[in-house]
Amino acid sequence: MGVFKNLKELIKGMGITGKHLGRHAITIQYPEEKWTMPEGSRGVVVLLSDKKTGELNCTGCGLCEKACPTGAIDLDAPRGEDKKRVLKKFVVDNALCCFCGLCEESCNFCAIKMDTRYEMSVLDKKELIWDMGKLQEMGKDVDYVDTRKKKKPKVAKKPVVKPTEDAKPEAAAVNPGDAKPAAEAAPDKEPEAPKSPDKPAEGDDKKTESGGEN
Amino acid sequence: MGKLKTEEFVVNMGPVHPATHGVCRLMLTMDGEKVVKIEPVIGYLHRAIEKVCENRTYPQCIPMMDRFEYVTSMSTNQVFSQACERLAEIEVPERAEYLRVIMLELNRIASHLIFYGTTAMDMGALTPFLYGLRERELIIDLFEMTCGQRLTYNYIRIGGVSKDIPKEFIPKCREALDIIEGKLVDYEGLLNENPIWLIRTKGIGHLPAELATSFGVSGPVLRASGVDYDIRRDDPYSIYDRFDWKVAVCQNGDCYDRYLLRLEEIRQSISIVRQALDGLPEGNIKAKVSPKFKPPVGEVYSRIENSRGEMGVYIQSDGTTKPLRVKCRGGSYNQLQALPYFGTGGLVADLVAIFATLDVILPEVDR
Repeated sequence: MGVFKNLKELIKGMGITGKHLGRHAITIQYPEEKWTMPEGSRGVVVLLSDKKTGELNCTGCGLCEKACPTGAIDLDAPRGEDKKRVLKKFVVDNALCCFCGLCEESCNFCAIKMDTRYEMSVLDKKELIWDMGKLQEMGKDVDYVDTRKKKKPKVAKKPVVKPTEDAKPEAAAVNPGDAKPAAEAAPDKEPEAPKSPDKPAEGDDKKTESGGEN
Repeated sequence: MGKLKTEEFVVNMGPVHPATHGVCRLMLTMDGEKVVKIEPVIGYLHRAIEKVCENRTYPQCIPMMDRFEYVTSMSTNQVFSQACERLAEIEVPERAEYLRVIMLELNRIASHLIFYGTTAMDMGALTPFLYGLRERELIIDLFEMTCGQRLTYNYIRIGGVSKDIPKEFIPKCREALDIIEGKLVDYEGLLNENPIWLIRTKGIGHLPAELATSFGVSGPVLRASGVDYDIRRDDPYSIYDRFDWKVAVCQNGDCYDRYLLRLEEIRQSISIVRQALDGLPEGNIKAKVSPKFKPPVGEVYSRIENSRGEMGVYIQSDGTTKPLRVKCRGGSYNQLQALPYFGTGGLVADLVAIFATLDVILPEVDR
């Protein structure tokens, strides 16, 4: 008789399981269905291009390289003959990236962004190192709000005319709070990272020029 | 015939063991089935986070602190930012403080839900684990919507928070809180009067209040032993003194009390989040802090109440952009230290229950 009693319990248990059959599942079948990532989700790093010209927004100021806590960004932008930076190398090692989003926040030119894409499995570790072409291709269709100021090129030319020594107090005057002691304590370092887009060019000018003289 | 001679023997529990919540190795000296001595061996998850922070600027340290205690990353963000703010005397905007409290308390709920699930799973019940993680998902989605990540948030920054909440956050948050509050009844129905659960937890792993205080045990484990101490109330940081809530305290200090207390803490946290959502003011979310943040020369210790006890950060600054020394304190370390003194005398299965209800996680112990 114990068998029948157990059977009854079993059917009762299966009944509860049956009730759940009609319910909406909270899991999804991952490779077939995909989760819609929310806006602003921090996935892979991409480089953004200008919507009209299709060129990269990056000016090569190097703020993202300095902001990165793991050193995942490797960037090289030497000055050309017209004293304008030419972006030669922009490599992101995704194996080092910790997806903190500090590079995106440091950028004043809408050039770097963390896209919502998250699938980046590869068979070889070296494939995780993305060069400029790959980063640009990944960022082609990424939608973004262009917050750059349009009068940028005019202002950026100013510090080029100024001699190297005078640039320092000028930079300090722009940011009265922290910039002055910063410049005094570490003269070889760049002045304060600025808020408006034209200022990084100022600081970078100074650095490269003095480097060239030496 | 004389008595049979018995010999003590050593059993290794861990380092890779599902019930040690990470990689902790417990060297157990056994007398038959009874545990007579416990020796925790730590260091399997050591990542030298304190040293890594010395080579990073202050804003760069915050993603590193995320990894210090990754179940409640918001609190590690908060404790580090708070230390920097005290050092440089930065005033945090009102709205940022409210957002911080909302995030911290949501993270506490998420952490306690993980506790609920894993503790029950360690004792053989799988259903609570699925229940707990299902509701935690609601909170994680809220975080992802706000700051873009699900585990390492990097949200609370020096001087405020990194992003403002999206429009749909408040209704979704209220909805999630209602769901979790409703599900708490389910949770209690599953375990509170479950005979197996009662046998496994009631009267097991009694931690006396004197022992707890002498080892610096803090947080829910200390309150379950009857010591009414909560940093949120006794040394208020952020804006916790503006909310109306109670510190949950239990008296027995056994595994069952530690479990009950955490469920009660979820309720209190829900109440705090609701009050914070009601009083959320408009305004700035971040004080003006330069990217090259340089605090003055000095030292500071800031502490907060984490879901695992007192979490503190000590920073020594030499006036440059990088900290001279960073020292982290996590509640789990002290709790693991006290374990050999009250965890002995039972079976290995009891030890699993004790270890689970201490809610130790190893990244916080090893750092």
